[in-house]
Amino acid sequence: MLSDPQRQELRARIKAAVAARDAAAVMKDCRELLTSGKPADTAFCGTSITQMAGALVEQLGAKRLSTYLVRSVTVEPMLPALTVEAALAGYVLDVQVGGYGSYMDEMLNPQSALAQSGAELVIVMLDLEEIAGQLPGLCADGRGVGVAEELEQSVGRVEQMLRSYRSRHSGRLVIQGCVLPEHTPLGLVGDANLRYSLPNTVGELNRRIASLCNAIPDCVFFDVDQVAAGVGRGSWRDTRLFLASRLPFAMNHFNAYCRALVRSFSVMFRAPRKVLCTDLDNTLWGGVLGEDGPNGIATGSAFPGNCYLSYQRYLKELSARGILLAIVSKNNEADVREAFAMRAADLALTLDDFVGLKISWGEKSEALRELATELSLGLDSFVFVDDNPVECEAIRQCVPEVAIVAASVEEPWTLVERLSAEPFFDAAIVTEDDVHRSQEYKAQTKRSELEHSAVNRDEFLSSLGIVATFVDALDAPLARSVQLLAKTNQFNLTTRRHSAADVEAFARQEGGLAAAVRVRDRFGDAGVVGLVLARTDGDVCTIDSLLLSCRVIGRGIESALLAFVAQDAVLNGATVLAGEYIATKKNAPCATFYSDHGFQRRPTPGEEGSVFYTLDLKCNLPHYPNWLILEGMQSNEFAGSTAITT
Amino acid sequence: MNSQEVPQSLRDIFADTLEIAPEEVTPELDGESTENWDSFRHLQLILALEGEYGVQFDPQQIPELTTVSRIMTALASKGATL
Repeated sequence: MLSDPQRQELRARIKAAVAARDAAAVMKDCRELLTSGKPADTAFCGTSITQMAGALVEQLGAKRLSTYLVRSVTVEPMLPALTVEAALAGYVLDVQVGGYGSYMDEMLNPQSALAQSGAELVIVMLDLEEIAGQLPGLCADGRGVGVAEELEQSVGRVEQMLRSYRSRHSGRLVIQGCVLPEHTPLGLVGDANLRYSLPNTVGELNRRIASLCNAIPDCVFFDVDQVAAGVGRGSWRDTRLFLASRLPFAMNHFNAYCRALVRSFSVMFRAPRKVLCTDLDNTLWGGVLGEDGPNGIATGSAFPGNCYLSYQRYLKELSARGILLAIVSKNNEADVREAFAMRAADLALTLDDFVGLKISWGEKSEALRELATELSLGLDSFVFVDDNPVECEAIRQCVPEVAIVAASVEEPWTLVERLSAEPFFDAAIVTEDDVHRSQEYKAQTKRSELEHSAVNRDEFLSSLGIVATFVDALDAPLARSVQLLAKTNQFNLTTRRHSAADVEAFARQEGGLAAAVRVRDRFGDAGVVGLVLARTDGDVCTIDSLLLSCRVIGRGIESALLAFVAQDAVLNGATVLAGEYIATKKNAPCATFYSDHGFQRRPTPGEEGSVFYTLDLKCNLPHYPNWLILEGMQSNEFAGSTAITT
Repeated sequence: MNSQEVPQSLRDIFADTLEIAPEEVTPELDGESTENWDSFRHLQLILALEGEYGVQFDPQQIPELTTVSRIMTALASKGATL
């Protein structure tokens, strides 16, 4: 608990840091001041952060988002908390608030303030009264007469609102659900037992809006009821101020609400992390293997072993949804293998569940770097779990991109909670590719074994039996195409994070092309791993985006993507193929892509330091690598024949 | 009168919420003549005061709390230690 003099001291430090334009110091002290839980401190931090908006972007790489709040309730007092929570998660929001009663008009009218705002993020905050105002009356007796119809109409109105906006704009959408009401005439027992009690019906309304969001591109459902239940629904609303000022919930929940809201929209702007590296001693199991021996370590169904067992089960569940697991531990590998064999019945994981084992006495930061190389993933997609504060600090200093979760030796039962409180694995969708990722990485290991035994590269690649299947980016499915655009960093020529609506525009407009490629070989199916967006205008076809998941780099898929877009361009009457490379911190692996494929570099660079290239298609039509087997839209024979006629 | 007559914690709340200098927060400061003191900031101010001092105002009384001195009186009558 901060004392008043401590608060004054922190405020003075924040003011000094604002004056010195030191964004990191402002955030550090704000973080501490906010622990007071006082609204005045949230307001103070909000003002300071707003003054530092530019510096947060420049110094800390915060993402700036023009944001529009469509609302039917009073949100203004909550704005400082939104500013603060967004900044803590790395966002600077430029917020515009819509009118109280005009939410429908804003969403439907092409001339509305929302339509003209060009917002990148639209948050829809409506109360039950607006979404389904008839429900409380219809649910009063719990018999359900007329409830189905009202639900149908309510969801229909929400759908019309969201789709109407989506048909014209590409801003990412968040719509919040309703909090399950308390104080109903049926009381605790009736609410629980009657199928059509108000809480049961509102629960169903929420689920239906959530599945609606699933079907609309770039739209996420925000389950405000989960937040309310987390702090206690009974204290969620300050009835006095809801009735007097339409304040949707009590002031002491502003921060929790905004934190969850930011977490919800984050999935549309940030790629989730992909790898969890866990320590063994006092993390995956209790005790120290080297001292306690395989039979002395704590794991299994009895306390405290079951604390570790629940963590292992949680990891197993993460792995099932596509998070890769790895062990990073200072131990003797033979001892670890022995422990996994001897204690198999008490462990929820086997060594086969891990895609990487880094068991040695070397530096853990080095182990993480090696894993990143072996898995072809950036360190910023890694999470590191360890009980040792010295190891955690070393990682923080040597590989700051890695996210750290500290396991507590004294309270081993808290680890699952700590891990699930972190947003870094959040995703609104889980694709087929996610689910199979772990197997695919295992196959990768087998491929590299074969590579070492093959005589030359072409022979090795032919022996893999790689099949590339081209599909429409809208059928990849579209969600996967957007996921690739959002997540691919290394082999991504322009790193444009297009929305689903943008991809649709490329696919549908004349001369446009939006294609994805799916790759499989004799070891496994990598799924949809590449994407190209291009547009032919007159005799020039311009490649807007061309990207490839780093898992399949070096197998000729990138050349095949280029050949594909080139042949489509020729069919559309183009004679020149234009490409662009925008350098980022991460995409060096594709820096020479265009020059490697015979493109000429243009002398004038673009606005953002991008480099332009062109290729004369009349004499230099890119071809498919001969070791690839091609499938899907536009076979190579067809494309080949058009090449001859040009 | 001057801003020294307003206790520091209270002065800070007014200054932060209304985005004015702490020196401008005198007992006479009122909603009518302070540009930033609109209805939303008023609600924000009331929420900040309630959160800071652990009190609750009667919604009927809230619209009348339009000067610093009235707010000081109201807080005192609720037993808040400023």
